[in-house]
Amino acid sequence: MHELSVASAVVEKVLEFVSAHSVKKVLAVRLEIGELSHIEAEQLRFCYVAITEQTPIQDSALEIETVEAVVNCERCRYRGRPKYWDDALSVGPIPTMECPNCGAAVEIAEGNDCAIKSIRFAVEDDGLAIPAA
Amino acid sequence: MIQTIEASPDEIYDIELEHSLLEANARLAKENRALLDRHGVTAIDVMGAIGSGKTTLISRLVERLKDRFGVAVFNGDATTSTDADLIANQSVPVVQIATVNGCHLDANLVGKALRKISLEPLRLVFIENIGNLICPAEFPLGSKARVVVVSVTEGPYMVRKHPHMFLGAQLVVINKIDLAEAMGVSVAELTKDVHKLKPDLRVIPTSCKAGDGLDEVTAALLAV
Repeated sequence: MHELSVASAVVEKVLEFVSAHSVKKVLAVRLEIGELSHIEAEQLRFCYVAITEQTPIQDSALEIETVEAVVNCERCRYRGRPKYWDDALSVGPIPTMECPNCGAAVEIAEGNDCAIKSIRFAVEDDGLAIPAA
Repeated sequence: MIQTIEASPDEIYDIELEHSLLEANARLAKENRALLDRHGVTAIDVMGAIGSGKTTLISRLVERLKDRFGVAVFNGDATTSTDADLIANQSVPVVQIATVNGCHLDANLVGKALRKISLEPLRLVFIENIGNLICPAEFPLGSKARVVVVSVTEGPYMVRKHPHMFLGAQLVVINKIDLAEAMGVSVAELTKDVHKLKPDLRVIPTSCKAGDGLDEVTAALLAV
């Protein structure tokens, strides 16, 4: 159930942003979740709604985008999507660490992180200066 | 230099944050590793399901190694200290890490445990993770190697059901092989599944109870 700790980390960071700037309302928080991370989007959304209740970011949307996995092969210099094990389980293909090109073991290059990408918000009536992206 | 833009009232803004949620743990894991390296200590993270034999494996390895050099054990357990008590009977330093409601150890908890013991006389620290095959994979602790313990009593599909756990591991121990026949589980098939996920991942079949395979595990861990 570490979706709850991930949701808490999101909320903590967003509330920190809200208190540092005069934000009127947070409309949306956009996350990128790597294909190889173990975070389940639906459970994360559920936790987010539950713990944002009665906070300044209640009712903000949690937009989740999946980042595709990319692997590197040291042996044949392949860089790209991993090889998938198609018939391992009925729910879907499993990404593996076997090079799709030469069969050696590969390293993960992308797709195992989970990050807040951006926050969409409306500012207070008196306006404010915010750091530009 | 930070540039600023003037925001007007009631306008809607998007701001890029690029804040990794796993980075805090990864940073602490690096700090743990640096602390261990400074003292010439190797940490081994032992992961696996409840009842797979993590404590028994560690206990057998401690038995074999404790007279050769300093060994300590961190026992992650949600509520009880039964595992820590078992290891403490072997007269090596033990730190119980109670996560209470937590489903995995994290680098912060391990960092605190590392500061509770004297690292000077040690060469090896075994970290027994919480019995869980999903969450621990996401949280590196600063160990030099991660070992996954799978036992044949967990059935024939254990590896393919929990693929993520194996992707970041350096060694897989298939335990309780003395029960394989009774369970109708093939050690060769489990090994094949591991290699489908990660072709170079070393697999050692063991029976921690009977002692099979423990020489190989000891040698493999001393070589990391």
